[in-house]
Amino acid sequence: MTTVITHNRRRSRLSSLIDQPGGISTRIALKQAAENLAGLESQSLALVEETIQKLADMSPPASIDEVHDKLKEAYALSAGIIDAAGPFAREDLCRAATNLCDLLDGSPVDQMFDWRIITVHAQSFRLLLILPEEQAEARKQVLASLQEVLKAKLGA
Amino acid sequence: MSFTATRSPGIGEALRESAVFNFEGAVTMVIDDSPFALELTMRALNGFGLKTRHACASAVEAISILKENPIDLILVDSDMPGMTGFEFVRWLRRSKLEPNAFAPVIMTAAHVRQSQVAEARDCGANFLITKPFSSLTLLERIVWVSRDNRPFMEVGDYLGPDRRFKSEPYAGPERRADEIRRKAGKE
Repeated sequence: MTTVITHNRRRSRLSSLIDQPGGISTRIALKQAAENLAGLESQSLALVEETIQKLADMSPPASIDEVHDKLKEAYALSAGIIDAAGPFAREDLCRAATNLCDLLDGSPVDQMFDWRIITVHAQSFRLLLILPEEQAEARKQVLASLQEVLKAKLGA
Repeated sequence: MSFTATRSPGIGEALRESAVFNFEGAVTMVIDDSPFALELTMRALNGFGLKTRHACASAVEAISILKENPIDLILVDSDMPGMTGFEFVRWLRRSKLEPNAFAPVIMTAAHVRQSQVAEARDCGANFLITKPFSSLTLLERIVWVSRDNRPFMEVGDYLGPDRRFKSEPYAGPERRADEIRRKAGKE
């Protein structure tokens, strides 16, 4: 039988602070946050480009022993793209990066990994970066192809 | 133009544009091994009127601060080298530090590995936000954790806020405990 212990409800200090007189509205808060983040947008793009380059420069594992570390490194880079692009409405980049994270996470580390998957994703990231905003259809196609890779490899 | 301020919402409720809140004086800690992600989070928080008092690059750095200082809100990244965000929250909840062991914790994650889904649920964080998320989502979750008065539960290996959410009033038959309370009140 599992023992369940319930601690007394307690009010956090934050719950008292939030209702202090004064403060700001949601509208103002979001406007201020957007202004604060806007200054980092170009830095975000530069970081995404740098991360894509690192991913493209990675060499495939030479043996099974290296697979675990290589997949871990590629996973961290891909997650880094989500980190950097996330706040700037780059859903396309984030979806492509999530696709790669899913693939790397679901791949067995006791088998050789098809490195073309990394190459294809790196190329797709670059394409998504340079596609003009109005090319929504092309963007959709890129993402759909990456999803097909995921389905083919993991049956997702 | 007329402007009516409304109270910020309870847990699970959408945040209205006119909702007003005040985080002045809140002691906030942000933990992320990525300096850029740390900066992004701090800037967003700053926009909400939340100044980050402690910006930490690792869980270990955060722990030494938590041992000495009360913290009102913690935002932690899940995937960090060394001690992960999940391990950090698990440590925090069992730390017996008053009041920090019960501090509201929002965990952020770029991606959650399949093998970590259970850990994400069971580590004891109040909320997990997966990236990409908008400033609105972040703000909404911060307001929610401020209103989060779920009791802390210890069930087996779990120690944290009650994982059963009740955003709707209970509509089922009267609970036995409520029945006893009602009868006791009448007598």
